[in-house]
Amino acid sequence: MENVRRKIIAAGGLTAFAAGFSQTAYRMWEKVVGKDAPPTRFYGYAPTPEYTVDERSGKLALNPDQQVSYTGCLGCTTQCGVRVRIDKTTGKVLRVTGNPYNPLSANPELPQNVSVKESFVALSRFGDKGLDGRATACGRGNAVISQIDSPFRVLTPMKRVGPRNSGKWAPISFEQLVQEVVEGGDLFGEGHVDGLRALRALDTPIDPAAPELGPRANQVALMTSVNDGRDSIARRFIQQAYGSINFVRHGSYCGGAWRSGSGAVFGDLKKMPHGRPDLENVEFAIFIGTAPGNAGNPFKRTGALLAKERALGKLEYVVVDPLLTNADNRAARDRGRWVPIRPGTDGALMMGMMRWMMENGRVNTAYLANPNLKVAEAAGEPSFSNASWLIVNQPGHPRLGRFVRGSDLGMEIAPDARYKDADPYFVMGPDGAPLQADLADAAAPLELTDASITLDGQPVAVQTAYMQLKANAMRLELAQYAADCGVPEETITGLADKFTSHGRRAAITGHGGMMSGSGFYNAFGVVVLNLLIGNVNWKGGLAVNGGTFRHDGEGPRYNLASFEGQIKPKGMPLGRNVPYEKTSEFAAKKAAGKPFPAKAPWFPNAPGLTTQWLTGTFEGYPYPLKALIMWSVNPMYGIPGLRSQLGEDFADSKKLPLIISVDPLINESNAYADYIVPDSLLYESWGWTSPWNGVPTKMSTARWPVIEPRMDKTADGQRIGVEVFLIAVSKALGLPGFGANAIADAAGGMHPLESAEDWFLRGGANIAFAGKAPVPDATDEDIEASGVSRIRERLEKTLSPEEWRKVAFLYTRGGRYQPYGQAQDPEHPEWMTWRFKNALHLYNDHVGGARNSLTGKRFNGSPTWQEPAFADGSSMRSHYPEKDWPMLAISFKSPLQNSYSIATRLRNIHPENPVIVNTADAREMGLENGQEAWLQTPGGKHKCTVLVSPGVMPGVIAVEHGYGHRELGARAHHIGEQQQPHKPQLAAGININDLGLADPTYPGRSVWVDTVSGASVRNGLPARLTAI
Amino acid sequence: METQIVEVINMPREVAWLPWAVQYFFLIGLSIGAFLVSLPGLAFGRANWRQASRIALLAALVCGLTAPVALLSDLHQPGRFYHFYLYMNTTSWMAWGSFFIPVYLGGLLLYGWLALRPDLQRLADRGGRWAPLYQRLAYGGLASTGAIRAAAALTALGAALVGLYTGMEVMVVAARPLWNTPLVPVQLIVTAVAGAIGLVMVLERVMGLTRVEDTCRLNRALAATQLVALVVGAIWLALGVFGLSANHARALAEVSGSPAWRLTAVWAAGATLLTLVLALMRPRQGLLTGLLAMHSAWMMRWTLFIGGQEIPKTGAGFYQYHLPLGQDGWLGLIGTAGLWIFVFIVLTSLLPWGDTRDGQTT
Amino acid sequence: MSEEGCSASRRSFLKALPLVTAGAAIPSLGAQAPDARHQWAMLVDIRQCIGCQACTVSCFMENAVPEDNYRTIVSTYAVEQVRDGKKEIGTFMLPRLCNHCSNPPCVPVCPVGATFKQPDGEVVVNAERCVGCAYCVQACPYDARFINHETGKADKCTFCTHRLEAGLLPACVETCVGGARIFGDLNDPDSEINRLMALHKDELKVLKPEAGTHPNVFYIGLEDEFAGKVEGQGSLWRPSAHGG
Ligand SMILES: Nc1nc2c(c(=O)[nH]1)N[C@H]1C(S)=C(S)[C@@H](COP(=O)(O)OP(=O)(O)OC[C@H]3O[C@@H](n4cnc5c(=O)[nH]c(N)nc54)[C@H](O)[C@@H]3O)O[C@H]1N2
Ligand SMILES: Nc1nc2c(c(=O)[nH]1)N[C@H]1C(S)=C(S)[C@@H](COP(=O)(O)OP(=O)(O)OC[C@H]3O[C@@H](n4cnc5c(=O)[nH]c(N)nc54)[C@H](O)[C@@H]3O)O[C@H]1N2
Ligand code: SF4
Ligand code: SF4
Ligand code: SF4
Ligand code: SF4
Ligand code: SF4
Ligand SMILES: [Mo]
Repeated sequence: MENVRRKIIAAGGLTAFAAGFSQTAYRMWEKVVGKDAPPTRFYGYAPTPEYTVDERSGKLALNPDQQVSYTGCLGCTTQCGVRVRIDKTTGKVLRVTGNPYNPLSANPELPQNVSVKESFVALSRFGDKGLDGRATACGRGNAVISQIDSPFRVLTPMKRVGPRNSGKWAPISFEQLVQEVVEGGDLFGEGHVDGLRALRALDTPIDPAAPELGPRANQVALMTSVNDGRDSIARRFIQQAYGSINFVRHGSYCGGAWRSGSGAVFGDLKKMPHGRPDLENVEFAIFIGTAPGNAGNPFKRTGALLAKERALGKLEYVVVDPLLTNADNRAARDRGRWVPIRPGTDGALMMGMMRWMMENGRVNTAYLANPNLKVAEAAGEPSFSNASWLIVNQPGHPRLGRFVRGSDLGMEIAPDARYKDADPYFVMGPDGAPLQADLADAAAPLELTDASITLDGQPVAVQTAYMQLKANAMRLELAQYAADCGVPEETITGLADKFTSHGRRAAITGHGGMMSGSGFYNAFGVVVLNLLIGNVNWKGGLAVNGGTFRHDGEGPRYNLASFEGQIKPKGMPLGRNVPYEKTSEFAAKKAAGKPFPAKAPWFPNAPGLTTQWLTGTFEGYPYPLKALIMWSVNPMYGIPGLRSQLGEDFADSKKLPLIISVDPLINESNAYADYIVPDSLLYESWGWTSPWNGVPTKMSTARWPVIEPRMDKTADGQRIGVEVFLIAVSKALGLPGFGANAIADAAGGMHPLESAEDWFLRGGANIAFAGKAPVPDATDEDIEASGVSRIRERLEKTLSPEEWRKVAFLYTRGGRYQPYGQAQDPEHPEWMTWRFKNALHLYNDHVGGARNSLTGKRFNGSPTWQEPAFADGSSMRSHYPEKDWPMLAISFKSPLQNSYSIATRLRNIHPENPVIVNTADAREMGLENGQEAWLQTPGGKHKCTVLVSPGVMPGVIAVEHGYGHRELGARAHHIGEQQQPHKPQLAAGININDLGLADPTYPGRSVWVDTVSGASVRNGLPARLTAI
Repeated sequence: METQIVEVINMPREVAWLPWAVQYFFLIGLSIGAFLVSLPGLAFGRANWRQASRIALLAALVCGLTAPVALLSDLHQPGRFYHFYLYMNTTSWMAWGSFFIPVYLGGLLLYGWLALRPDLQRLADRGGRWAPLYQRLAYGGLASTGAIRAAAALTALGAALVGLYTGMEVMVVAARPLWNTPLVPVQLIVTAVAGAIGLVMVLERVMGLTRVEDTCRLNRALAATQLVALVVGAIWLALGVFGLSANHARALAEVSGSPAWRLTAVWAAGATLLTLVLALMRPRQGLLTGLLAMHSAWMMRWTLFIGGQEIPKTGAGFYQYHLPLGQDGWLGLIGTAGLWIFVFIVLTSLLPWGDTRDGQTT
Repeated sequence: MSEEGCSASRRSFLKALPLVTAGAAIPSLGAQAPDARHQWAMLVDIRQCIGCQACTVSCFMENAVPEDNYRTIVSTYAVEQVRDGKKEIGTFMLPRLCNHCSNPPCVPVCPVGATFKQPDGEVVVNAERCVGCAYCVQACPYDARFINHETGKADKCTFCTHRLEAGLLPACVETCVGGARIFGDLNDPDSEINRLMALHKDELKVLKPEAGTHPNVFYIGLEDEFAGKVEGQGSLWRPSAHGG
């Protein structure tokens, strides 16, 4: 017995030992079979370098097994030019760095006439060239290469199996997919679904009672993200060919409020031009609600110049932000400072600064008094403003808040030209009578006392734009502004003093931080502050983009802008970004004596609004959609509050019968799709991209498939992608503008649009031939060295003999670039070459003349400080008082992640996003660093981890964006028999958008947006944090 | 100037010396300690130690045979262990260790064999299936005190070298203030001896060989070790607190603020004190005291090696180590324990360990 | 809060120790091996770092660094400091990598002589010889080494020797967005790194100068609080079991 027990114990011991020791044994076995032998003695698994450069002679020797190509990154919306290194045998992307020709990646960049081989040497150790010639990719840019071979990619067309969002898919052929979405039918065994053919009714109104909504074709819509250099083909499809008005990009939940505020100043609320400090020359910059080097656009160029100029140049800067970010750097000492601010109160700071400047003679009134460009230029100013222009200020007057125009004064203006460009503006003349602004030949008065003019024989009070701004600024005492924004009075005056002490070499800019409930006016104030020192178009001031070489216009070689039979879409866009006053609803309500409120707010001064699309379609207001195409876009992840508002709507195929997605991945939005068409990822795509801003010279980046795309092929051998899909659908529907003879060349010859190449190579020809002289031809050596040989055949086949080498030239350099030295105007070295030449608006009468569609109240046409509010203008705090919601939650871009990079090596560095709270707040709430807590807003609650830090404004909870995913790998989808790998760690952290707010001031589904710009509110959410 | 620093981004380093290493240091320490306990009875002929010393020899052998396996497993390239002998780097204590371990183990086996030869002969004489094997192993069955003493001397040399190298290997690591104190080798030895005494007491109990006199004697020795341990601990603390030694101060500074480390310190001191009190107040009972002493020896090593590696050398705060389930964690710990039990059972099945002069043949 | 208690009590111990304050960090400059062709070194101008981790990730990619490990990382800190009665709050970023010490403590401990300093200054691991004992990992005062679970050997920054030999720059230097990482040859009197080091002679610092390791990674803008082990609240990083 004893013996048996011993034996059992001994056996148990031996088993335990064997289990414990098995790994060691295995490792020893590996040694025996030689598996421990390293590929190299010292370098581990590092691949051999892409080329070698002799350190003495600079002689270059290419590595025949590798390819180095210049193309574009899409690791974020900056879309830098990059240099991609590829293993030719495996097709694997080994690594990526920057393109030295591209100003988004190098500073200064190489002139494009430098040969490709020389560009390689310029990056090397030879003569330490590679240090100053550095061309970089950021952390994200370096990491996203792994998306290419990601197990979460969609490579084959698929169709949902079972209910929407169930995560189950059947792979189908491309041809079947096109057939089904075009023809419809009982596609899912859930009843009949109309296809795109049936839905394309161009003559049937959506609602005969509301003809302004337009035809039923508008009920098919296409939503996309950023223009990644390809969206002109999508717009051509949905608007010009299919005939729907509904095309939208992500702007309204990116930086819509900033862009609108800027658009108000630049006088274009639809295209919304904007500027950025000329970082290479600015001496003092204020970044308010944008975090240069942490995020910001262009992320990398801004970060690089900020770093360089604060360390080696003259730059001093201040970052006004509730959160301390990587925009700050202690080692740079006083060159950079952080000024914390209460979320959503930037307007108070701006108006406080303005007030101090106005009271202390620090406004550049001489600049502001120039009524037009001619007078301004004569005075040495590269821009001018409307500060002196007259505004109707007579209460009760129908033109109240509008600029005095020629037609108001009885000038002969054709009815349809009224209040348009040809209808002039006025300033106060020296004789006390209005003087046509564009004809004035001297400075005009900025401030008038008791001014009135005669309109229709009646005296009508007027004021100047400057007067309205001043009245707005003087409305509150400095102390009140300080109390409201939490920035001490002496800091406000200090900022104003400093800002006005560098002549024109100062600038202030913003972006994502403006996405609050007072975003439009805050941003408007920020941009107008620039006007008060007259810095626009000055070297070192606020500069506009150098612009782009356009590929998709009516170009020198091909007309990609229009085609025969193209449709001009009609009706009202789904985003309600048109005046409510134009609706039948308004007319009916007015007739009933109560025109306001509208059912939901309208945004006459906003561009396309994704923020309203999905809530709008499910409210049926202005009308419901019948089919939605989502192309590389993720509103469910990116729009605060959307997910909880839509609830199961999105999953209900009765409510939105057809959702088609084109995307390389399954994200939080297209997980709801009925069909997913695979799309190309960054290095697989064609395209022509332009910088978002911040590059003072003209440039375009070339995107081209530097690797063999991984997507499946169509029956006729093309790699599936958005272009191929849209072309196939168009051809099936027989739409104009696609297929044979779709593209006209400059000589009138016709060319097909049957493939992506047909479009982008011809677009390339437009770029290559743009301007005074075309680019040179690419040499065979350039073509070989840059891997463009991959597409040489295609270039030769698609383009004419005189074109192809020039287009190849663009691909060898990864784009076309105006030379570095041309940022400033040679004749006026203190002026920027590319100037914004229209009037800059201290006062925008489109805004000032518009009414809130819920209350009928007039908007203010100049920057002013108002608390974050809901659609009816009632303050957020009147609904969600501080006693219940003591904190304000904000969101900020991860310095590492973007919204789709979670499944990359970046996660290794920062695996989740603890929410950041101030040390004092944490103490008060009894929270410790690393503790779990509930983050709660009126929009919901979510578990989070707490990071206690002094680097956040007290009263604020800061949430890093880019975590809290439900898709992109966080959930394993089933595709046919295959299941994706399950990586729950990709879901780590929290997405504050799951806690976004609805608007309590009108009924129905809604998300909280800024009242003027319609931009989503992700900053300043009422919140509380409680220990679990 | 008050400074508050919050680390927002940093990546911890993993523990590189794994629980295997803790097991190695624990087992080799126990082996050496047990070897020392075996000396009075087996080498110096102290009759009243005889029983305890025989058990100690068993303990030394079981631990000594298990330890190198744990050490091997701590290598990430165990199959290359022979590189130690091909490419010796003389500036490395670890390199020396690879030579000292065989000296010690060789000596121990020889010493054990010599000590057990008469027993083997007795087993051979008893006849049976294994008799020829025992006969061969007994190799004459002579009990030669001289030979035993010579072998003991060799083993003692080996033990001293192993003790030296294990201590020095840790002590020279200037990068880890907690390791880099001259008291570490002393602490390792003292706790090793204490743990070994504890192990002998526990084994006596497990094997049903407990004798009150033995227990009392062992408890007295144990008390002495605990006293030394406490004194050394106090010196360590004093050197740190009063800033007398930079190393100690730095080591103390690294851990003193952490609640976890404070708890560990209190625990360790408390366990030592408790062992001391029990050994003195209840000298007749050995099991609990023995287990306590072993626990202190193991915990000291765990804290030193694993805990020490949780202290970042440059970053803020502490790295967090969670014992994983696999081979590099729990399974490794259990695996070494399993091997230990297996060896123990093999040795106790093959050989008698009671005091055979009394005619017992357990 | 307990963490504050931690740093407070730490400081009181350290007061007794003039040794530990890293202020007087005068690095040994230049040319340690006059007979070698090169003497590689890195200069990090912290003022130019934006914490983008391009260096970190490019190193992952270039050198196949396994998951949840790193050869270089940019530690990032939020710092609150009261200076002359005024509260200053800022971000401090610190690119860390192997210092390729002139007196590297990782070398003598290696039992099999697998790790050593090359004539041009790089401290490397011979993967054919390394037994993965991790002794060098313990001995490096900078946490610059680790055991690579995929190779079972010690791993660390090599200064991208394979790229240097090809006449190229290290991966992390090539892609440094802020231009903070400057790399070059101390033996070349005309090199950019020598020029900059001479220019910033008085501000140059190294990590843990008191360790006597004589690093060849130099810093401009390094604050004393960060030169050694940082006293403060540690990061909340959570590993996924390796490889996960
Ligand atoms: N690292 C990284 N860079 C990126 C991206 C990315 O995903 N990751 N995405 C790119 C894209 S798409 C864009 S649009 C740009 C955006 O670039 P940014 O506009 O610079 O980035 P955001 O993080 O959106 O907002 C900037 C800052 O506003 C602060 N903020 C929040 N609320 C307020 C407030 O009420 N007032 C003030 N003054 N500040 C506030 C936030 O703390 C944040 O630091 O970045 C681009 N670059
Ligand atoms: N709380 C909070 N919300 C935010 C922000 C924030 O800072 N905080 N940021 C906002 C901002 S600035 C923006 S711009 C929006 C962004 O939000 P969106 O514009 O909706 O989209 P993204 O998530 O950037 O990308 C959309 C999809 O593109 C696909 N994709 C990824 N790489 C590629 C590629 O190489 N090719 C193609 N064809 N497709 C690709 C992926 O499936 C990805 O999900 O989010 C906004 N939402
Ligand atoms: S900034 Fe954006 S586009 Fe540029 S390299 Fe980084 S991720 Fe790519
Ligand atoms: S930093 Fe560490 S690994 Fe690098 S040489 Fe110095 S001691 Fe060795
Ligand atoms: S891990 Fe390798 S290099 Fe490091 S000490 Fe051990 S054998 Fe030497
Ligand atoms: S030099 Fe090379 S190995 Fe070293 S950190 Fe930089 S990229 Fe990594
Ligand atoms: S790449 Fe350069 S700027 Fe970016 S984190 Fe690394 S050292 Fe800093
Ligand atoms: Mo954006």
